[in-house]
Amino acid sequence: MLVVSSIDLKENLRVMKPSKFLASTIKEPTININNDYRYLKTGYYVSLHAEILGNMVIPSCEDIIDSSRTPILLLRAEKAKIPTLPFLVTDSVKKIIAELGLPVVLFAVNPFIHEGYKTAKNKSALYRAMKSLGMNYKFTVCAQPVKGELFSVKSFFGKCQINDEEVCGLAAKVYALFRIPVCKLHVQKVEGKAYLCALQPIDEQELSKSDLEVISREILLISQQGDHLSV
Amino acid sequence: MSKIACFVEKYNFSDPREEAALYNFKNAAEKAGHQFNFLFRENIAEIPKYNAVFIRATTDPLFTAYIVSKTAWELGLKVVDDPESIKICANKIHQYALFEKYNVPRIPTVFLSKDDLHHKQIKEIFDTLGKPAVIKAPYTSFSRYVEKAACETSFRDVTKRFFKKSDVLAIQKFTPTAFDWRVGVLNNDTLYVCKYMIPKGKWKHGAKLRGKPTVVWGRTVAVGKQKVPERLKEVALKACSVIGKGLYGVDLKEVDGDFVVVEVNDNPSIYAGYEDSKDKDIYQRIINYLSD
Repeated sequence: MLVVSSIDLKENLRVMKPSKFLASTIKEPTININNDYRYLKTGYYVSLHAEILGNMVIPSCEDIIDSSRTPILLLRAEKAKIPTLPFLVTDSVKKIIAELGLPVVLFAVNPFIHEGYKTAKNKSALYRAMKSLGMNYKFTVCAQPVKGELFSVKSFFGKCQINDEEVCGLAAKVYALFRIPVCKLHVQKVEGKAYLCALQPIDEQELSKSDLEVISREILLISQQGDHLSV
Repeated sequence: MSKIACFVEKYNFSDPREEAALYNFKNAAEKAGHQFNFLFRENIAEIPKYNAVFIRATTDPLFTAYIVSKTAWELGLKVVDDPESIKICANKIHQYALFEKYNVPRIPTVFLSKDDLHHKQIKEIFDTLGKPAVIKAPYTSFSRYVEKAACETSFRDVTKRFFKKSDVLAIQKFTPTAFDWRVGVLNNDTLYVCKYMIPKGKWKHGAKLRGKPTVVWGRTVAVGKQKVPERLKEVALKACSVIGKGLYGVDLKEVDGDFVVVEVNDNPSIYAGYEDSKDKDIYQRIINYLSD
């Protein structure tokens, strides 16, 4: 099993740099580790190169694109019975208020903004958020109602360093479906139940020493099990 | 009877020739007893009400059109352009890698990663492809983000701009011709053929006038598909076969008596009185495919 990583991992692992892998023709099951799998970025091209070579690869290009487009993430999650809240893809403030009410959380659906979200408790805040995330109403946004506590967790191979069974269970299910090894999940907890809101990249600075240890440990575990990629 | 949604954005109606083509699709559908509605972005939630989705807005995995395509696909609807075709055609790196893998005749192409941009590499590229070389951003469409460079300084200047968005670029051999062939393909069959003429003194179909933002377009000359060389259609169909079974516009150049693929586009332009002028049945054939 080949590990291609843009991140300096701590353990004694056989790791290849993305630029070296992109210039190679190594045919081996591949794990692609990157803090940023965005479309058109190196993280994406590593998976693409592996797919062209015919390698089994985590994550796949399709999953990279789908998981970063919030409406598709939610649609596929809902189909796989992962808890999600109702959502709306629109550029209309009126529609959001009529169909979802307030408060709402908005995620960008445009080619430029890939991180963060905005919440709006009233109409004027909603207009401001739409203007900002829609880049002056040029693009749509993905709106979801805020019904409980909204927070973010880091997920490494579907595991979170958080003492909350509900959220950990959700992260495991999201990983089983989209197979994004390193990502941030935005989650809402409503009456004790966790709902998936979005999946986004992690900033390299946000990865602590212990995070790198967790990632390395997981890779080691996978390479020992060996059959992880074929599932 | 099938219910077809045609996903469009406002700009699709800004050119009267494109608007006329959109209404030709609508008329063809209604004549065959189908329902055909234009679907704008504010009504994306209505997709489940339809049997098929036909996308005419510009496609890219980062645009709303991909959300529409994938939503329709996940719901089990017939969709043109399907998400896989968008994924491959919107990224020329993906496309050329497939052409290489499956041996599709193509313009000599090399890939350049952001980390590999250094003097030795640039020299090697010029040695392999000659000067000037054509630099292509993977997300190119309508002749944009394709520029040529004849020296290291301009090569660095162009690639620096294109690397802002994509970490890998395609570099191709400069192959000037009087026109590009455009072969329209649907479901592995030739739909129409035309010549996209290159404006005089330019090297691409849509070229900017020096120092001005205006783009001049070469003429579109439709050619009866029975009158073109069989080899042209054969190469075009081979290129599409590695992508999918949707609707594509294949650009080819004639070099030394044979044909090489420049690129395959999903979501090809269809303008009334242009692509359709020799093959009036293209509207009906696309509608039949969507409602089949």
